[in-house]
Amino acid sequence: MTSQRVRWIIFGSLFVLAVVSYLITIKLKIRPSPQVQKTYDYIETLPPSSVLLISFDHEASSLPEIKPIAQVILRHAFSRNLRIIGMSLFAEGTAIGYNMLSETAREFDKGYGSDFVFLGFKPQYISAILGMGESIRSVFPEDYLGNPLDSLPLMKHIDNYDSISMVISIADGDRAVQWIEYAGARYNQKILAGLTAAMITTYDPYLNSGQLYSVVGGLKGAAEYETLYGRPGSGSRGLLAQTTSHIFIIALIIIGNIIYFRNRASRKGRG
Amino acid sequence: MRTKIPLAICFLSGAIMFLQYFSRHPMAKTVYSGILDWWQIIFAFTLFVGVAAFIKNGVKSISRRNDAPYKAVSLAGLLLMPILALIGGVKFGSPFLWVFDNMQAPMQSTVFSLLAFFVASASFRGFRARTIPAAILLVSAVFVLLGRIPIADYITQSFSSAAFWIQDYPSMAARRAILIGIGLGSMTTALRVILGIERTYLQGER
Repeated sequence: MTSQRVRWIIFGSLFVLAVVSYLITIKLKIRPSPQVQKTYDYIETLPPSSVLLISFDHEASSLPEIKPIAQVILRHAFSRNLRIIGMSLFAEGTAIGYNMLSETAREFDKGYGSDFVFLGFKPQYISAILGMGESIRSVFPEDYLGNPLDSLPLMKHIDNYDSISMVISIADGDRAVQWIEYAGARYNQKILAGLTAAMITTYDPYLNSGQLYSVVGGLKGAAEYETLYGRPGSGSRGLLAQTTSHIFIIALIIIGNIIYFRNRASRKGRG
Repeated sequence: MRTKIPLAICFLSGAIMFLQYFSRHPMAKTVYSGILDWWQIIFAFTLFVGVAAFIKNGVKSISRRNDAPYKAVSLAGLLLMPILALIGGVKFGSPFLWVFDNMQAPMQSTVFSLLAFFVASASFRGFRARTIPAAILLVSAVFVLLGRIPIADYITQSFSSAAFWIQDYPSMAARRAILIGIGLGSMTTALRVILGIERTYLQGER
């Protein structure tokens, strides 16, 4: 079989597997990991009206994996009557974050300005994170829609991290590291990260040292959170597609190695 | 003078930022806030430089008929989005957000999803247990892949435990070593720049 044909078979099989498993509904038994449980418990025990700062630090490309994480955290927070300040340290995360925040707020009938606010995007993330520790107004004099911060009821008594219970960075790269290193280390701010699965190991040292409070990672993390929240969403739905794709890749690794060892044995036999 | 003034500015900025970290004096706080504001302003101007360079390169490529259709589309995108934002605003339901949600986000997700196909192909063609270290890597990868899916728990919970162990011990030890190395390297470089030993930002002038 030519290598081109093998490639087409692999690509075609993966495509069919992913699409079919996304379309069918099989309820998987999902066991929440300690990290997701810790996150859920923390948000669950926050008093109503506590403020969370959610930073959408990701690009549009990682949206299928990142959106379920952000969505379930936002739903949980709004259902607990927590107030949310949204922002982004990535230009692309701005529109995504504003849209997601507005959509989820509508589900819970939350009002802009009193229950949630979106500050928008700031370039140069280090100075933005450090600046917000001194005064959020100096970094964001206006919100994303051009309203002065003092005109928004939610922002009237919030000037820096002192009034914010937790910063949640929804990230597909290492932007949450900057939140840990600058907001966490300098201002003692509690940091949580919602991450793509590929990035989880990057954050393990911070998690282990306690500099990062907790992590909700990948579709599995989102699905675990949805299980705890009691409302399955796109994380649980996408998990089956991810599961079949992982099994397919494991099968490919095994088949590839069987072929390799068989060929090596036959070469040795001839030699 | 051409090198002494930038070196002095660099030394003063570095020394002030370093010393203010240990001070609670209001003066230190004012200086710190001022520097952070300036940092934002200077960075905002670099965005203008980036956009100008993008337009200049795009126009040049179009005039030379080098990838002209692609450059035209990227320039049109660069101009269209601010125009949409200026006309219809950026609020929920605006044309700006419609274009972002229905064009940019799906296109980027599509390109990113292609990675899964290349990973599948590479796992079949390249991931071979040729040596003992390669075999260890392969077995670890299989355990981590299994640990990241809930279906493995139906067989045994050992897969998740093994995946967590790999992440928490061998993987973290390697990451810590890299992070400590990066930290020490950054500190050394910062000291070299502040003290004027490292001068590559002056284009090599000594």
